Amino acid sequence: MALLQKSGQPRPAPDDPTGRILDVEALERCLHDPSADIRRRAAADLASCQQATQWLLTQLQQETIPSVRQVIITSLTRINTTEAVQGLATCLRAEDARLRNDAIEAMKQMPDAMAPVIEELLQDQDPDIRIFAVNILESLCHEQVENWLLDVMDNDASINVVCAALDIIGEVGTEIALPVLERTARRFNDAYVGFACDLAIRRIADSRPAS
Amino acid sequence: MTAIISQDDFLVFREYFYRKTGIRFESSKRYFVDKRLIDRITANDCASFREYFTRLRFQANGEELQRLTNLLTVNETYFMREEYQFDCLTSHILPELSEHLPTDKIINIWCIPSSSGEEPYSIAMQLLENWPMLRNRDVRLLASDINTRMLDMAEEGLYSERSIRNVPPTWRARYFSRVGDMYQICDELRACVEFSHVNLANPVEVRRQHAIDVVFCRNLLIYFDDLSRKEAAESLYDVMSPGGFICLGHSESMGRISPLFTVRKFPEAIVYQKPWEES
Ligand SMILES: C[S@@+](CC[C@H](N)C(=O)[O-])C[C@H]1O[C@@H](n2cnc3c(N)ncnc32)[C@H](O)[C@@H]1O
Repeated sequence: MALLQKSGQPRPAPDDPTGRILDVEALERCLHDPSADIRRRAAADLASCQQATQWLLTQLQQETIPSVRQVIITSLTRINTTEAVQGLATCLRAEDARLRNDAIEAMKQMPDAMAPVIEELLQDQDPDIRIFAVNILESLCHEQVENWLLDVMDNDASINVVCAALDIIGEVGTEIALPVLERTARRFNDAYVGFACDLAIRRIADSRPAS
Repeated sequence: MTAIISQDDFLVFREYFYRKTGIRFESSKRYFVDKRLIDRITANDCASFREYFTRLRFQANGEELQRLTNLLTVNETYFMREEYQFDCLTSHILPELSEHLPTDKIINIWCIPSSSGEEPYSIAMQLLENWPMLRNRDVRLLASDINTRMLDMAEEGLYSERSIRNVPPTWRARYFSRVGDMYQICDELRACVEFSHVNLANPVEVRRQHAIDVVFCRNLLIYFDDLSRKEAAESLYDVMSPGGFICLGHSESMGRISPLFTVRKFPEAIVYQKPWEES
């Protein structure tokens, strides 16, 4: 027993249908294979294939093995289209908290594809969905983020949704947030909202360049 | 005439190179990239970036892309780098794996990226010197990199004084011989590290390996963006045995990359483990 001498030969790999180059339809079949290893590989290989978006989304809803689910989400993130984001957005309504969180994390990484969808989510009937949308904005790299958040503060009827937006504006808001913060404090006669708005106004004022 | 790389050229090239290798060049790296691109444009007798880029993309054997990759990767490494992880390997990781695995199971250790070989050879010395159980267990050492020039250097095994500065004197005497002002690693070690060309950003290439029990993936993911890091972690997960361990560089943390692995805190190091079973 020891360090093995190199053989110069490739080690024979166990038989794996996704190891050979397959066409996309064959990969789609592998996506439903009983073996989680094969499903995971098929999901990874479909990352380069936009036409696989719906297959991946369908499997995502049924998939029970976390690692396969992760790889499906990664491939959808790589596909990075509005269709992929729309599919992920439906996961926000899932019972399973892990699936919801995974979908949120993925959407944060798709700012351009996300833009048309975020506006819909921010208008959703369900305040929980609107809070998830605000959570996505927290780390979405998009130039509209502050405007979307200010829009929520000015127009959303739910105090919980407004507070979620306010928490972020408190950290990243700029001067354009000042009048909105004042309006929000007046719109909700609430101690926490008033306190958070004051704090944000002071922070923004303090960070103004001295003239 | 020297070719000029415009901002648009830079962005087009950056996206292409990212898709091929997972490496993302920030704008601050523009000078580094431009200089190497211009060298290759000149060497290929191309009149412009566009002409060169077409050749690069459509060349069937990928030779030019390989040359450029060899120039654009950062290969800094040295013997016994972050050696607390090697101590962790012999004091905790291998003993734990040995307890779980059948006695005749070969333990496969894979360094990706290996750069010019210092890391896998350090592991070989660590095992020979500090893991007495090697008498009862076979270990296979595999090592891969995207840079073919580094792989050639690794196979040759000739190192500078600077590269071996952290190797203890007794190990130096045992495993190196002096050749001019360089140090040649001994044939015994060269014979037991199997080097191969693998691009970690290409899952099909990663799958040439399988049943890996310990991965060293150190100081490469820092050059990837978040999504490529996650894909790389998932590709590695795919070729690891259940219960296998992965060691990252000190500034890299799996917690920020992928939730697939379990954090394991040992006295020497924090490493990550593929669960024995997936629920
Ligand atoms: C800084 S070195 C690290 C070497 C060694 N692991 C260490 O920590 O000292 C980074 C290496 O990653 C390699 N590399 C870059 N992109 C790669 C990729 N996509 N696949 C495999 N290796 C890659 C480079 O060629 C380089 O040799």
